[in-house]
Amino acid sequence: MRVALAQISSYLGDLKRNIEKHREIIESAISKKADIIVFPELSLTGYLLQDLVQEVAINRENFKILDEIKSLSKEISIVAGYVEEKEKGIYYNSASFFHKGEILHTHRKLYLPTFGMFDEKKFFTEGKELKAFETPFGKTGLLICRDFMHISTSYLYYLQNVDFIIAISASPARGATEADHFYVSENWELMGKFVSRFFSTFTIYVGKVGFEDGLGFVGGSFVYDPTGNLLFLAPYLEEVIEFVELDPREVGRARAKGHFRQEELDEIIFLEMERIVKRIENKS
Amino acid sequence: MRINPEFIKKFLVKFLKEEIGKFGFKKGVWGLSGGLDSSVVSFLAKEALGEENCLALIMPYKTSDPEAVKDAENLAKKLGIRYKIIDITPMIDAYFKDHPTENKVLIGNKMARERMAILYDYSAREKALVIGTSNKSELLLGYGTIYGDMASAVNPLGDLYKTQVYQLAEFLGVPESIIRRPPSADLWKGQTDEGEIGLTYKEIDTILFYLVDLRIGVEDIEKKGFSVEKILYVKKLIEGSQFKRKLPVIPKLSWRTVGHDFLYPRDWGK
Repeated sequence: MRVALAQISSYLGDLKRNIEKHREIIESAISKKADIIVFPELSLTGYLLQDLVQEVAINRENFKILDEIKSLSKEISIVAGYVEEKEKGIYYNSASFFHKGEILHTHRKLYLPTFGMFDEKKFFTEGKELKAFETPFGKTGLLICRDFMHISTSYLYYLQNVDFIIAISASPARGATEADHFYVSENWELMGKFVSRFFSTFTIYVGKVGFEDGLGFVGGSFVYDPTGNLLFLAPYLEEVIEFVELDPREVGRARAKGHFRQEELDEIIFLEMERIVKRIENKS
Repeated sequence: MRINPEFIKKFLVKFLKEEIGKFGFKKGVWGLSGGLDSSVVSFLAKEALGEENCLALIMPYKTSDPEAVKDAENLAKKLGIRYKIIDITPMIDAYFKDHPTENKVLIGNKMARERMAILYDYSAREKALVIGTSNKSELLLGYGTIYGDMASAVNPLGDLYKTQVYQLAEFLGVPESIIRRPPSADLWKGQTDEGEIGLTYKEIDTILFYLVDLRIGVEDIEKKGFSVEKILYVKKLIEGSQFKRKLPVIPKLSWRTVGHDFLYPRDWGK
């Protein structure tokens, strides 16, 4: 299986130009025989949208604008991010898995960072579900940026026996140290390694690059195999399209070897979660 | 607080290239004083834009340190970038002839705004964006002239403390004579930043780093070996200069108001 990591920058708030850019990149990935291409968070719109959210949203009236991406997905599976106006006036930071000319699944970002430099909750509503879905490559779970920083999301996909966690992000650079990367990049890689190894899943992470209003997005896209080995790490800050070969059968081997999933106590965890969460609720 | 200068250089060069380029500009113009910050900016701009797209304006007043002016010119020559020397003495003196003052700060502010006016004139003449040279220490202390040296389109050093700019300068190969010259806003003869503020940059930056980056309280900073007076003084400078870091305040009347909730990114559509 050949995965294309489209570590790109987008034109901020210009849907048409971004679709055109996606088309060119997707066509090139098709010619290079990739089975799937993954774009970053909000790849069709850019990240720092603020009031532009309403103006670039894809809704029932203008959804045909995605036809070009859908049509290209007849030859390659595509994960891309955009603003979805699912109900009138309600906006989601969404990622769709395009396959065989249709949208196979849409994930709506759950964790909307709203602190310090982030104000996503001001503009977006959080999704309500975390559903894994079947693809020809294996069972897959989609995550968007901050979703992946919470172990709960990957854990719930783990309980659904995913073969792949695909996390797409737009991570602004911060934390300049003496290292040759920003501190924040370590968060992604640490989580990628951990999740892959202990949940026996491939982790495909694609990060945005480029600058928006002085925020430089870090890139550093990667793939970890289901034992937590780093298969590939893309350069930080550079706009690149990279190709990674992987064997989905590794998931079965890793599960047999690690044996984590087999001994997972779903029911006990569920009951304990219920008890803990309810106790908190009773107190407040 | 130390940085990786090679990595940061790469990041800032990308920043300049992209944030200038996406507005359809190829060129940059900035004031080159022969001091540390503007010299570092010259290195970064040259790499981001190429020699031919750089214009460094050297704008001395009659009291400016001639050694600094010479260093500025030598640096521009060494880097192979375009430069111009524009003496601002006639403009400044013409104004104060009719509005005399002994207040050095007033004269200094006027000089900073004259330089800004020339930079923006050349911005339009040359289709070049104005590159700022303010560092984080100055921005936080408000040690700059509002609508003077604080005015620019892009400000690459704005999140680097002065001591971090030194680290970058050494890596870039900024000449020794520039690195060794005591930092000065060049607003009057013999002025130095550290003399005027009353603290060294090492002290300033460490206190700022604790207060701003780490959000450590005064008492805990005191335990790290700084006097309460010094810490409170730095705090007072930050609070007192907040207006310099903001756009003019607008009274909100409508549902969507500039400066309040007309929320569009600067890089709108780019």
